[in-house]
Amino acid sequence: MSQIKSHKFYEPAYLKEVQDLLKNSGQREAYNSEVNCVVLAGPGSGKTKLLTLKIARLLHEKINEPQGIACITYSTECSREIKKRLDKIGIEEKRNIYIGTIHGFCLNQIIRPYAKIAGYPLPDPIKVVDSENWNHYFSRAACELGIENTYQTITHFGWYRRTFIDKSSEEFIMNNKRISKLIINFEKILHEDGFIDFDDMVLSGFMMIKEFSWVRKAIRARFPYLIIDEYQDLGIPLHKIVTQLVFTAGVEIFAVGDPDQSIYGFTGAEPNLLNSLAESENIKRVELKLNYRCGEKIINNSLISLGEKRNFESATVDSGKLYFWEYRNGVQEQAEMICNEIIPTSLKNAPGRNLGDIAVLYLDKFDAAVITEEVKRFGLNYIGGDKNVRYKPTPVTRWLEDCASWCSGGWKIGDPKLSNLVHFWVNTRNNIESELDDKLFRQLFINTIWNNRDPSTPLDQWLKNFIEIGLIENLDNSQIRVDEIESLNELISSSSNLDKMGTFNINLFGKQRGSPDHLNLVTLHSSKGLEFDVVIMMGLEQGRIPNYRISKESDSFKEERRKFYVGLTRAKREVHLVYSGWYETSWCQIFKNGPSQFVLELLKIE
Amino acid sequence: MYISRIEIDNFRNFHELRIDLSKNNVIVGENKIGKTNLIYALRLLLDPKLPEADRHLRLDDFWDGLPRPLDEKAFIRVSIDIVEFENNESLLALLAEHLIQPEPMISRLTYVFKPKANLDTPPKKESDYEFLVYGGHRIENRIGYETRKWIPLSLLPALRNAEADLASWTHSPLAPLLRAVISNIQRETLDEAVLEVTKSNEKIAEISEIKSLAEQIQNSLVNSVGEKHAINTSLGFSPTDPDKLLRSLRLFIDNGQRGISDASLGSANLLYLTLLTLELERQVAEGERSHTFLAIEEPEAHLHPHIQRLIFRDFLKTRDEGEDTENSSTQTILLTTHSPHIVSVAPLKSITVLRKSDDGMATVGMSTAKIDIDEKSIKDLERYLDTKRGEIVFAKGVLLVEGLAEEFLIPKLGGLLNHNFDELGISVCSVNGTNFFPYLKLLGEKGLNIPVAVLTDMDPQEGKKSLGLTRVGSLLEIFMDKDTVDDISDGDLPKFAENWGIFLNNSTFELELLNSGHKSDMCSALAEISENGAARARAIRWNEEPKSIDKEQFLKDVEEVGKGRYAQRLASIIKEKICPDYISKAIIYVTNKIP
Repeated sequence: MSQIKSHKFYEPAYLKEVQDLLKNSGQREAYNSEVNCVVLAGPGSGKTKLLTLKIARLLHEKINEPQGIACITYSTECSREIKKRLDKIGIEEKRNIYIGTIHGFCLNQIIRPYAKIAGYPLPDPIKVVDSENWNHYFSRAACELGIENTYQTITHFGWYRRTFIDKSSEEFIMNNKRISKLIINFEKILHEDGFIDFDDMVLSGFMMIKEFSWVRKAIRARFPYLIIDEYQDLGIPLHKIVTQLVFTAGVEIFAVGDPDQSIYGFTGAEPNLLNSLAESENIKRVELKLNYRCGEKIINNSLISLGEKRNFESATVDSGKLYFWEYRNGVQEQAEMICNEIIPTSLKNAPGRNLGDIAVLYLDKFDAAVITEEVKRFGLNYIGGDKNVRYKPTPVTRWLEDCASWCSGGWKIGDPKLSNLVHFWVNTRNNIESELDDKLFRQLFINTIWNNRDPSTPLDQWLKNFIEIGLIENLDNSQIRVDEIESLNELISSSSNLDKMGTFNINLFGKQRGSPDHLNLVTLHSSKGLEFDVVIMMGLEQGRIPNYRISKESDSFKEERRKFYVGLTRAKREVHLVYSGWYETSWCQIFKNGPSQFVLELLKIE
Repeated sequence: MYISRIEIDNFRNFHELRIDLSKNNVIVGENKIGKTNLIYALRLLLDPKLPEADRHLRLDDFWDGLPRPLDEKAFIRVSIDIVEFENNESLLALLAEHLIQPEPMISRLTYVFKPKANLDTPPKKESDYEFLVYGGHRIENRIGYETRKWIPLSLLPALRNAEADLASWTHSPLAPLLRAVISNIQRETLDEAVLEVTKSNEKIAEISEIKSLAEQIQNSLVNSVGEKHAINTSLGFSPTDPDKLLRSLRLFIDNGQRGISDASLGSANLLYLTLLTLELERQVAEGERSHTFLAIEEPEAHLHPHIQRLIFRDFLKTRDEGEDTENSSTQTILLTTHSPHIVSVAPLKSITVLRKSDDGMATVGMSTAKIDIDEKSIKDLERYLDTKRGEIVFAKGVLLVEGLAEEFLIPKLGGLLNHNFDELGISVCSVNGTNFFPYLKLLGEKGLNIPVAVLTDMDPQEGKKSLGLTRVGSLLEIFMDKDTVDDISDGDLPKFAENWGIFLNNSTFELELLNSGHKSDMCSALAEISENGAARARAIRWNEEPKSIDKEQFLKDVEEVGKGRYAQRLASIIKEKICPDYISKAIIYVTNKIP
């Protein structure tokens, strides 16, 4: 079945988009590859487009239903982006297409269908523990064994659990007997109460794939192709799952990632996993070297910061520019001057540039609070920023944003699609009803969203309509979305708080992402995958980046470099580096180490 | 892949139906026993053409035996277990989520019709109920069109008019096959063929006689309705538009000599089923579906018994023999019938019998799918079913006997004792020897579960244990372990075996009959039928002086005539209302077990 199923009157939408892609030799090679393939994709190399078109090609040309495809992403946010792009080329989520996180994959495609009949020791039914209860179980487990419950214990606990997965193995038992006992005790008391946690999902998923050949066989039959995005962020358990599926079960893999952008070491991610996969036998390795985003100068500077040799080329005309801003009076002054000097400069540099083209990247929540306050004081429209002011982005809050955008005019152009909004609504409900009853449930939602199509409706009033038709009850019943209910409650409370979002109408709420007239406030960590015309990085002091705790010889030091590199490579045309040469910690200690060495390295060349 | 088990609770005739199935199934039962309901139950799960609204059942679909008003916990459930799909990736992809057992894999699909979850008051009306279809053990793992479209149950309408259906483009299963082929034909090849046909068409039309007829028709049309309204006609044997040309292709039989309309009814039906089978295979091959469950209801309507046997012997048997390669058996058959002729040619392990439960309240099902006997015995039983036209399957009780003599005489003896076997539904079946074993398996509790008794001869052996006792001992091992049987003394064995429906005499059937008091009739029969003068004379003498009967000689004389032939004759004259003890006990044993 290798030839394209041709239709006289219908050419699949992806074939048009592919034409562009095929001009780039790396992308062409990856797109056409017929074997396991690892794509090392530098910043701005168009990897998401490649990934979605590859999925389209597999679905149209390689896969016969009811077999399908699984696409694993780092976060629900990433899977939203991929779903959205697939939707644009006419590919909708169906039973045979899984797009989501590795946690969701393990829970819904492995544990739920197979754990019980495999006799694998997990609770049934399964509830997912929320963070508050997690802490409660952890301290109970630690207390019972007389282990001190510190931040270090928790970190080591998580790392150990994700690294030595097989609990019957020598290395698990012997490496650190204290921690291994703690892990066993923690899981025991958690499972006794019918809960599992997020790590449980992936670890159990891996153990089941490893132990039961029929599980591998079933997964291979359902998903003969496995697509993985941001491989470098996914950690050891995923790597082991992939190894089992590819080399034991015979699943074909298409993995995309960039070891240089591996900045989630604290979750167990390691850049060398992707490299070692790429070097494995029977794996085609493709590098994408053409950068469609950053100007040449920005690329060159970013590679200096990274400290590695890469033969990246820029595909853009503008070579880009770096600015260095030193404000000696500390972070407060940095924030003020960003609003007062840097942003106006940047807007003047390029006529037609909007606030939405600019992003301020900061290192932590303390800087977030400072810059958010300042931006508000200057009366600038913004999105993101201090999380305490607003709500966490979760699938539910993102979906509400989409609903708001639909109500504010999206309905006229079919963007977002009503069917997708309805689909999400129906899926909020996990309890057991009949198939006919679903129609009424759908109708209820459609009526509500239809009757609230006024962009000027105040946000809190609009939200009430959805609460009235049972949004919160549905989420309560659906067991696994405890964290989402929390963030929904945050949203509801801040929508009626005049200091927060009390002044929002739904038009504004619906534009929370990608609005042309709103300044973007983002942490450096979560800027990965985003791009902006202008990037302003603040708080770049030696001791903060690289962090004072990290020695220059350690692997983590390289991760500090990668973090800085990720920040730089978010920019298309301008990077503004902002620093004071000193900083004050949250415990009011002042360190005067000068600007970040990464800044100094770049200054030297200028 | 096939359905290995069906369970139905509280649906129409069924209270707690549990049946094991094999790949292809012939479901038999008398009218109104629920054959159609069984198929409908499967349609609730598997038929993508059944409207969703029809999946919402009605209150009268609940089994009549449930007290009304319905208990608030009452529900209807249909579930099927599917097996042997794990080596087909497409089926595995579809069914893996619904596993209930991993090795070997079994997946279960379940339909439930039950009161709604959040009712404030007990359910009263139909709208208080809801249905759901789910896979595996997980009720939240719902199944809809997206699943059933890949493994549909297709209901074949009764084969009333196969001939007409074959002739029409819209109804013939040939049409989709042709259409599929047409799409692969090169346009040039087609155009070339069309050119040839056009030429031939023209050539025929040019023949002067034909030409003038054509003109005559056209002129006549114009004369009657005028130029404007007359349709334009021409004579030819085929339209010359390429697409229409292909649609006018017809099947011919006998080397193209005759059309389908000349085929016998039997061949037309066979052809129809063959084409349909090909079409279903094509759909799987082209990835339109992964498997078909083909339900055929009462195909015997309008078919002569011989034709029934002819068609279904091949149709059913060839399927079972083509074993499990990956692409084989992309369809499995569920055929319902009340025709013994179809049953008689069905593979032994494909038979499922539906009948009334003992209390008459519900329909229960018995199947042969799981009976455990060797291949040779299966072949023997199939041959037996074939020659006896499936009679045993429809019996309410069965007496298994050694030979034709018993088969002729025992119904008669029963009649003399006022047990009318036809009325009771008791069949006397000769196993033509003494190998009762496979028959007991077939009829026993794990098979068709029909009340059965075995009547067998002692066959004493000089100086050794009698053959009869050895035989009874080994038959008892069907019901208990060998040690238990060995513990019973030879003297107690015959009496003990009666508890299990095995009845042993003291010698052989004929002698038992003779001893029981039928001497006069038996001698007359022998005298009438024997062609040997000496034997005839002996028989006449014995009849006058019964005490002088030499039993050994009597047996020899009977054997010379042939036991069967003798018994046939005897049956027509026997009149004493007496019967050997072991026979009357066996009759009572079976009669008591018939509900």
